[in-house]
Parts: sequence; structure tokens; C-alpha cells
Amino acid sequence: MRNSATERPGLLWVAPALLFFGLFGLAPVVIVGYLSLTSWSGIGSPEWVGLANWSALTNDGRVRGGLTITLTLTALCWATQTPLALAFGVWAAGPQRVRAVVSAVFFLPLLLSTAAIALVWKALLDPSFGIPSQVREWFELSHSNVLGDPTLALYAIVFILLWQFLPFHMLLYQAAARQIPRSLHEAAELDGASALQRFLRVTVPQLRHTIIASSVLMLVGSMTYFETVLLLTAGGPGNATRILPLHMYNQGFVAFEMGYASAIAVLLVVLGTGLSLAVVRATGYSRMTSQREGM
Amino acid sequence: MSRTHRTRVIGSTALALSLLATGCGTSGPGGGDALQVWALEDAAVNEIVERGIEAHNASHDVPAELVTFVNDAYKQRLQVALGSPNAPDVFFNWGGGNLAQYTDQGQVLDLTPTLDDNPGFRDAFLPSVLDVAAIDGAYYGVPLLGVQPVVMYYNKPVLEAAGLQPPRTLDDLHEAIELLQSDGVTPIVLPGAQGWTQLMWFSYLVDRIGGPDVFQAVVDEEEDAWRHPAVLEALATCQDLVDRGAFGSNFTSIDYDNGSASALLATGESAMFLMGSWDIAQQMDNNPGFVENDELGFTSFPVVEGGAGDPDAIVGNPSNYFSVNSDSQHAEAATDFLVETMASEEYVDELIRAGQVPAVEGIEDQLQESDHAEFATFTHQLVSGAPTFTQSWDQALAPAAAEAMLTNLQLLFIGDITPEEFAEDMEQQR
Amino acid sequence: MASRSRPAYAAGAGAALWLLVVCVPLYYLVATSLRGPGDYLSRGPLSLPESLTLDNYRNVFEVGFLGFLANSLIVAAGAILLVLLVAVPAAFAIVRGRSRAVRISFTLFLLGLAVPAQAVIIPIYLIITRLHLYDSLPAIILPTAAFTLPISIVVLTSSLRDVPGELYEAMALDGAATWQVFLRLVLPLSRPGVVTVAIFVGLNAWNNFIFPLVLTQSESNRVLPLGLWAFQTQYGTDVPGLMAAVVLSTIPILALYLFGRRHLLGGLAAGFGK
Repeated sequence: MRNSATERPGLLWVAPALLFFGLFGLAPVVIVGYLSLTSWSGIGSPEWVGLANWSALTNDGRVRGGLTITLTLTALCWATQTPLALAFGVWAAGPQRVRAVVSAVFFLPLLLSTAAIALVWKALLDPSFGIPSQVREWFELSHSNVLGDPTLALYAIVFILLWQFLPFHMLLYQAAARQIPRSLHEAAELDGASALQRFLRVTVPQLRHTIIASSVLMLVGSMTYFETVLLLTAGGPGNATRILPLHMYNQGFVAFEMGYASAIAVLLVVLGTGLSLAVVRATGYSRMTSQREGM
Repeated sequence: MSRTHRTRVIGSTALALSLLATGCGTSGPGGGDALQVWALEDAAVNEIVERGIEAHNASHDVPAELVTFVNDAYKQRLQVALGSPNAPDVFFNWGGGNLAQYTDQGQVLDLTPTLDDNPGFRDAFLPSVLDVAAIDGAYYGVPLLGVQPVVMYYNKPVLEAAGLQPPRTLDDLHEAIELLQSDGVTPIVLPGAQGWTQLMWFSYLVDRIGGPDVFQAVVDEEEDAWRHPAVLEALATCQDLVDRGAFGSNFTSIDYDNGSASALLATGESAMFLMGSWDIAQQMDNNPGFVENDELGFTSFPVVEGGAGDPDAIVGNPSNYFSVNSDSQHAEAATDFLVETMASEEYVDELIRAGQVPAVEGIEDQLQESDHAEFATFTHQLVSGAPTFTQSWDQALAPAAAEAMLTNLQLLFIGDITPEEFAEDMEQQR
Repeated sequence: MASRSRPAYAAGAGAALWLLVVCVPLYYLVATSLRGPGDYLSRGPLSLPESLTLDNYRNVFEVGFLGFLANSLIVAAGAILLVLLVAVPAAFAIVRGRSRAVRISFTLFLLGLAVPAQAVIIPIYLIITRLHLYDSLPAIILPTAAFTLPISIVVLTSSLRDVPGELYEAMALDGAATWQVFLRLVLPLSRPGVVTVAIFVGLNAWNNFIFPLVLTQSESNRVLPLGLWAFQTQYGTDVPGLMAAVVLSTIPILALYLFGRRHLLGGLAAGFGK
């Protein structure tokens, strides 16, 4: 028993974590599949209804609409957050003191909870007592409706999410940019590369793992946009910002159609898990994880 | 690996879990020897119920105990709790369809025998309000709070400046909309960020155009109920009001919860506001000058010329109700508590003092003494004189239908769907 | 190094603009929290407050802020403790273990990284109610810990991999049992990873909205984010009060930022590799 080869920690050391994660993390994925085949109002026991929820799902225009809005929102968030976080992160990685101070300020939104950020912006965007009413006066606009405008509401949400999540991704890029060996830059400089060329040919390729990691986090994190949308517009006006997770929440906890909501949830699990796994596979991220064992 | 290692790791996890469980408060309300009374969180009213409970506890073996919840969460909680060991004995509800959900599951005690045994108690309540807790001829709840009809508030100086009287008909309203707009005033403030404020317009118009049976058909889930001409006309009228500029250009982002709608009426940015009678408290708290200077006016909803509805009929929240869980181990104590408390002089007086208008007969004199006597008297007369009191549709309908209706109303008000599309979609939900 | 060039200036200008975008809402937040009620309605959102008042802050304390704060702290501490209790031994086994079962469980955790918590809220709700934990703080702690567990294990694993194998072998030669290795070697050496995990889990628990929303009900179990929301619907007219509540809810994290920024940055960098 006491030789070094057999003294390896075995499954029992992993068991508590595994049991715990199995109960609250993996079992729900199985249960949600089961619930999607039942009718359940939250009272009493679920009743088996076979594929009824699924056929209803394929006919639900709000699911299709919700899917479109979810994907649009995710894409817009990625397209705004990635370039800005990359640019600011690299900028903040510079040794200048002013950059350190400014990036410390950039970091501040990260200290507020999602709920706090949504509530502050909601007050700030109030059509009568917020910034829009001022802007309306200055520019003599016809209305000061932002969160109640079917088009603007989605952009406002993209902007607020950018405000909230930019610092986190910027931080990833900043940390990564600092680890780029200076010699690479110096070599490029000797070759006569301009700063822009160096950024594109040295910095960006060196940061590709970070870009992938940050993108994967954005994809997985896009599910949490639910809270922001719930607090800001509750999916409105009409269905304009009704992302799929919100539709699921409303069906489950407002309409009490938990079986049907579970069918939407299965779609979300497949979508969320599938998208992240696809990105991981397409970009060789798992190879990277196994090399670096890092997130 | 030896056996001791295993027990240590697992033991420590279990210990941590149990520490967390015991260290972090109770595992939920319910059960036990007390009579659990569940209600919405509302500081002023909770205090009154609490005093009723204290009086009850002083003379009874089974002590009652009040548990309160925030609005948005309450229905969900109750849904889960009923039928579980954590169920309350007495629970707050909205009567009508909301209560019917629980009676359908056989979870509510029939109070008809109790009311028959105590005719004085039964007759104390305004019939139009008590009737909302009647399902298939049996009574399942007693009014717990004041009546809350939806009324038309207006800003007196603003209407006067435009040379207008409060609108008595839809035509009056059309005229007012035009005149007020030319004065640079938003004629009506509509906090349309929330669908239920648009519902007030829709449900009043349906009642005025088609009478209360149209609503009943929808609640009874009759075929084609949503396609009724009165429903379509009401929806078209809503869109017409939007097109006339009645609600201004910002209404879809005005929020009721943050008080901006009430403030817009008080500051004269808007001239009229269709809202529940509870808004008077909001105005008195936040815009006291507006109320004290007698600038806040109130009247009933305009009449639609040629409509089948009664001009005195009202829409809103008849009251909230206390019902008894049929599985309650303390059913007798629960009904005793209701009979002794809910119409008692102390309880009614306290409600009036808290600014409520109880659903009780013969309280005109007491209302004269209340904080806002004129409004309280107006409300009481409105309800006493109403042939029917239509409950808010979102409370009366099943939750899924209500959710779909509120979303569709928002879509209709922003012009995304037509009245016909609204009706078709609601028929499919049915 | 070459002198500053156009891209640097462009980034600098962009940064200045973003600085404004970050600061305006923060100014609004703090300024509004110090306004009197009339001041809020009559003056513009970005004006300087006419006079400063701390009344809003006092009101926030009167509506139970301290209780919400305490609940949030308990939830964060509980989740951190629970995650560390199960994740550190698991990471140890994953790094040093040889068995297939251990390797498979690591794959399971990696798969778990991709499961969105929001999407499985209904079954979690079912599980919590069946465990009779509904409306309690453990109802929030357990799923929060479970959903931060995969990342925590990955982070801890990567920090333990940096421990040279010779150290383990030296201890094994001394005849140390596995649990002694764990206590004397693994625990001390995993400290940087533990700090990162604690911060990550703590922030997650602190900010979580949907678990408390769906899994608790009563005021006595209300955590801060939910408290802010309830404040909005119950005392919604009082925007300055709401802003004061938001400011107060941020103070604990601000303190962490001021005193532990290096840990935060270092932790994130370590966790993410290059």
C-alpha cells in the first residue's frame, strides 16, 4: 500500500464533487427532457403528454421569433464587445501610468450586479425623466422613446450589455497582451512594420487563444442576458426583445406551462451547449485546454 | 485508500451541507401548529391583518401567523405550495379566474355553508364584490381589502385651460384629444411599458360596447368569444386612439412602477390618466400639492354612444380575497378567523384609515372622515351603484391566456397586429 | 520602441470617449442617490444636485437593506465554501489520479462548462422543491455552487499542474499517506487557485438573479439583487432611494476591488492562460 505508485488519489476524491454536480448540474438536463414530454402547471405531478409540447413548439411563432432575437442579440454583442475589448485591452496593457488609471475606471461597471446595472440604465433611459428627454429638448426630436421603441430597444440592450461586459473581456486581453514577448514586437519593428501592422501581425495572432476563450465565454454568457432583458423591457415592446430564455421563463413562471417551457429549455440547452462545443471544436480550443489546462 | 479516508471526505461534505442548512434559516413556511395566513406584502395592510390576527389569537387555541410575499412572486409560490405539505391554511387571492384555478384542483374550501350560517356577515359585503369569489354558485372567498375600480383621473387646471369638461362620451374624448394636442399637452398618459395598463382601456371599451357578457364568454372559454364584434371594435378603438395621438409618442416606454405616469399627470404634461383607484395613494405620497390644491379630478369611464353596456358598469379589481385551503388541518379555526375578523368594525375602520374603501355596506359616514373623503366616497358610490364589476381580465383568465393577451395588447397598441390578428391568436391559445 | 503612432492615438481617443460612456451613468447613479425627491423630478438627470441629502440612504436601511446584505454574504460564503470543499480534492485527484474513472469525471465537468444554468431552471426548481429547500438560502447556494463548480475545477486543476512532480514523490518516499499529501502539499500550494475560485464563485453568487428569483419567496430570504428589484416595484417612485440602494449594494465589491485588485487580475490571468 505504501509505495508511491499506488498512493494515487482515486475516484473517491472526485466523488463528492461529481455527486453534487450530478444532482444540480447534470440531472436537470435529463429531467428537463422528461418534463418537456409532460404537462405540468407547477401544482401536483407532471402528466405524460408525449410529443404534444414539441408539436406546439414548432407552430409557435414566438419561439421562432425568440430564436431570431436571441441569435441577433448574441451576434451583436459579440460583434461590439470583441473588437472594443481587444483594442482597449491591448491599449491598457501599455506601460503608461495614465492607461492604468483609465483602465481602472473602465473596470468599474464590473463591480455592479446585473440587476443594479439594469435598474440604473432603466432610470437613465426613462422617456420623461432620463437622458432621452434631455436629448429630445436639445435636438428637438419627435419622441424620447428608447426602451419602448421596437428597434431601439434591442440596440439599447446591446449597448448596456457592452457597458457591462466590456471590462471583463478587456481584462482578459490586457492580461494576455502583457505576456506577448517584447522581442516579437521588436523583431517586427526591425522589419519596418508600422504600429498598425504590428498590431495585426503580432498582437492579434498572439491573442488568438484569448479571442477564442473570450468568444466562448460570450456565447455561454449570452444566456445571462435574460436578466438584463427581464429587468429592462420584460421582452417588450410587444415581442421586440423577447429572447428565447425570457419566453421560456414567461411560459414557465408566468403562464405556468412548465411542460411547454421545458421543451423550450431543451432547445436552449441544445443551442447553448451545441454552440459552445461547436466553437470549441472548430477552433481547436479543447486541444488548447489540454495543453494549458486553463480556461 | 482506506475506509477512514472515505468517511472523512464524505462526512465533511455532509457536515458542511448540514451546517449550511441549519445556519441559513428555515426551509420554508407552512406546516406546524399555527394557522398560516398568506398575503401580499403591503406594509399598511399587513399591519391591519396582523392586528386582526392578534385579536384572534388572544381568544383562540390555534394561533394564526401572517406570511407575506412580493407581488410578482406570489402566484408562483402559491401555485407550488398548494398541494404540498408547506401549504397555507388561509391564502390571499384575486377571486374570479385566479381563484377558479385552485377550486378546479379541489384545493379550496366551499365557504357557502359558513356564509349561510352567518347571514349578517354575508350581507355586510357589497354583492357585486362578493360575487367575484363565487364559482359555479358556491362562495370560495371573502373580500379582504378595499375595492379598486379603474377610474379616469384628470388634471383640472389643464382641462380648464383647454376649455374642456371631463369627457362623458367617446366623442367628447376625441374632441379633448384634438384640443389638448394643439395645446402641446399629451392628452392621456398611458404607462404602456406594462401591458396591464393597456388592458384597462381595452376592457372598459369592451364593456361599454358589448356589455359584461362578452367578458363572461371569454372567461368561460366559449368558441369564438375573442371574435365577438365588441372585442374587435374595442381593439380597433384602441388603435384609433393611438393614431389620434391620444397617448403621445412615448407611451411604450413609460413605466407605471417608477411613478413617472402619475408624475406626468400631476405636472400637467398629460391631462388624463385611466388607472386603478390605488393611484390616489401614489399621488398623495409623491405629489401632495397636486391633491391638496384640488387639482386632481376623477370621473367614470366615458360612454360609447350606441354601445350595449351599462354606463355605470365598472372594471378593475373588485377586491382581494381570503380563501381557505381545503386540506387545512385548521379549517374550522380558519373560517372562524375570517367570520370574526373580515367584516368587524375594527377591521373596516382600520382599512378606511389606511386609505382603502372596504367592500362593505353602509360605511358612507366613516368614509367622510377618511384622508381623502371625496375620492373615497366617489369610489364607494361608483361600486355600490355598479350593476356589474368586471374583474381585470388578466386576473380572470388562466395564466397562459392572460400572458398571451397582455403581449398581444402591446403588439396591438404599437400597431404590429390588427384586431383580427389579435382575435385569431387568442382563439388559438384557447 | 518607435514613437507613438496613429493607431495608439486612435485607441487613446476611443478610450477617452469610452471613459465618458462609463462615467456618465456612474455620475448619474451617485448624483441621483444624493438628490431630494423634488430635485429628481424637476431638474434634469445630469444636472448637479441642488442640495445633497443622505435621506435616501437612511430610507434604504429602513426597508431592510442590512438583512438583504447579510443574506447575500451568507450565500456567497456558503457557495465559496461548498465549492472549495468538493473542488480542491477533486482537482487533486484529477491531477494526480491515474484511474479511468477520474479522467471520465473530468470530461464530465468540462462538458458541464457548457450547460447554461438559465435553461435548466425549471428542473432545478423541481429538485429544490422536492428536497423541501424551497425558499431558503441553501436553495440558492446549492445550484450556484453546482454551476460554478466546473470552472472552479478547471482553474484549480491548472494551478495544481504547476506543482512539480518531484514534490509529490519526495513526500511519497517519506511514507506520507494520500491525505497527508493533500493536507501538507496540495492545500498550501493550491492557494492562488483557491483565491481565484473564491473570487469567481463569490461574484457569481453575489450577482445571481435568477436562482433567488425562482427559488426563494419571502423577505427574510431575500438577497441583494432581488432586494433592489423589489425596491423598484414597491417603492418605485423613489428613484433616488433606488440609486442609493444600488450604491450601497456595490460597496462590498468595491472594497474587494480596492484591496484585492491584484488577486482579481492575477487570478483571471492564471485561469485563462495566454
